[in-house]
Amino acid sequence: MWLRFMKPWGLRPRGEKWKGRLQSLLALQPLRLASGCRPPSVTARALVNHWAQLFEERGVPEARESSEYIVAHVLGAKTFQSLSASQRCAPITDLQQEQIGELCTRRLQRMPVQYVIGEWDFQGLTLKMTPPVFIPRPETEELVNLVLHEQSQRCQEFRRKRTLAHQSHSCPLILDVCCGSGAIALSLLSKLTQSRVVAVDKGEEAVQLTRENAQRLHLEDRIQIVRHDITSGVNREQLLPWGPVDFVVSNPPYIFHCDMAQLAPEILSYEDTDSLDGGENGMSVIREILSQAPMLLKDSGSIFLEVDPRHPELVEKWLQSHPDLGLSLLATHVDFCGKPRFLHIHKSRDPGSRRTQNV
Amino acid sequence: METEDSFMNTLGSTSLPASLGRFSRGLWGLWLWKKPVFLFPRMGACGPQVTGKTDSHNLLPLNERDLEEQFVKGHGPGGQATNKTSNCVVLKHIPSGIVVKCHQTRSVDQNRKLAREILQGKVDLFYRGEDSHLHKVRKEAEKKKRERKKKAKETLEKKRLLKELMLTEPSPKAPLSRDE
Repeated sequence: MWLRFMKPWGLRPRGEKWKGRLQSLLALQPLRLASGCRPPSVTARALVNHWAQLFEERGVPEARESSEYIVAHVLGAKTFQSLSASQRCAPITDLQQEQIGELCTRRLQRMPVQYVIGEWDFQGLTLKMTPPVFIPRPETEELVNLVLHEQSQRCQEFRRKRTLAHQSHSCPLILDVCCGSGAIALSLLSKLTQSRVVAVDKGEEAVQLTRENAQRLHLEDRIQIVRHDITSGVNREQLLPWGPVDFVVSNPPYIFHCDMAQLAPEILSYEDTDSLDGGENGMSVIREILSQAPMLLKDSGSIFLEVDPRHPELVEKWLQSHPDLGLSLLATHVDFCGKPRFLHIHKSRDPGSRRTQNV
Repeated sequence: METEDSFMNTLGSTSLPASLGRFSRGLWGLWLWKKPVFLFPRMGACGPQVTGKTDSHNLLPLNERDLEEQFVKGHGPGGQATNKTSNCVVLKHIPSGIVVKCHQTRSVDQNRKLAREILQGKVDLFYRGEDSHLHKVRKEAEKKKRERKKKAKETLEKKRLLKELMLTEPSPKAPLSRDE
């Protein structure tokens, strides 16, 4: 068995073309199994075991999971567990073995599994994934649930009070800032069948990938995808084609700059660091979104942000020191690991009101 | 205000700082009490809009407080700082001790929902035995299988008899009667 190894991992310099790097990876000689290294029998289970062992020997994290996802993908399934027992024991064709080998070679280079298989699932949708566009994290699914829940509450309130225009509450307008692959925007569109979304990202690859995912899911008629860097200032014309929005939702880059170097090679070498680096205190993009939100949001609108666990207090202090924005932190929600992860902010009804605790 | 203690206990981690007590447990506490179709459009099978058999979907409700959930260990800092793909969910119903492991999908959210559905069915079976939904479904399936087999057997028998008849009777073009 032989394979050329890459240089030790470090911080990928900004501006380095990831495409060039990827091509150089693909140009590596494919992994060749020396005789004696062939798996004992060519079933899915045997191949998973073989590659899992190899990944582990080479220090690739999540060795078994990576192997299972790749083998399942080549066999047309989402996860190994979803394959039937007979599928797991059925013989693998030579072509399938070759495909699995090629994909596993990429994983050996620490390419994230999502880029290796070119897709990933989010809120029940299957989205195409291509480097360097940011891969949606599992925590962010809960961000979508929070928006859905808030929308549901509004509809119920309307039915109870009939105080608000029915139109706006059955057809919510949503602005997704830093949309990446379109995960948040498209999952909201698919669950809220009357909604419309404006998805914004500064990266050309992200805009293209969101467009492609929207087309694959047949949601392109209700989304507008805009290439715009929100740190360059407000652009109401581009961001509000349908007027002020009911929701501003975002998973902005929020990693503290000093923490960037600790990220795993999978992240640093393949994902766009601009989609992760939130500057000092991880707040630079968050501050921009909050500064512009009052101009983008309806009075009854809400902002939902995914953040670092240290941000709730920082954001609350920052909002209090910028009372001109008229925003207040309504609630903080935890993620599935119990970490404070999501902020719900709205326009203060009463400028002097304190944040209510969401019990 | 309820803390996240029961939730965090699943990870066997150290106790939460007191300040976290004021954070919301999110939507999972609501899920099993009221399930708006809006949020879970695929949960039609368990929703109130099911028509037909009135008792077939009256599963025993699960209290989120009785559940202990585990995800991948060592999720690290989480969020953007991590890219873990282990989306397997292990869900335990504490009073009965039933554990369900779900890795059917690549989405943590979907696996959590599925795990709760599967667990709800198993808990229902555990407590209600023959009255449980799962038991009834199984019995119904067995009954239908028996009926299909019986019908197939009867059809085969009829065909066999018809074949015998055709072999013993004279052909239609032959003289009407040899006795004439």
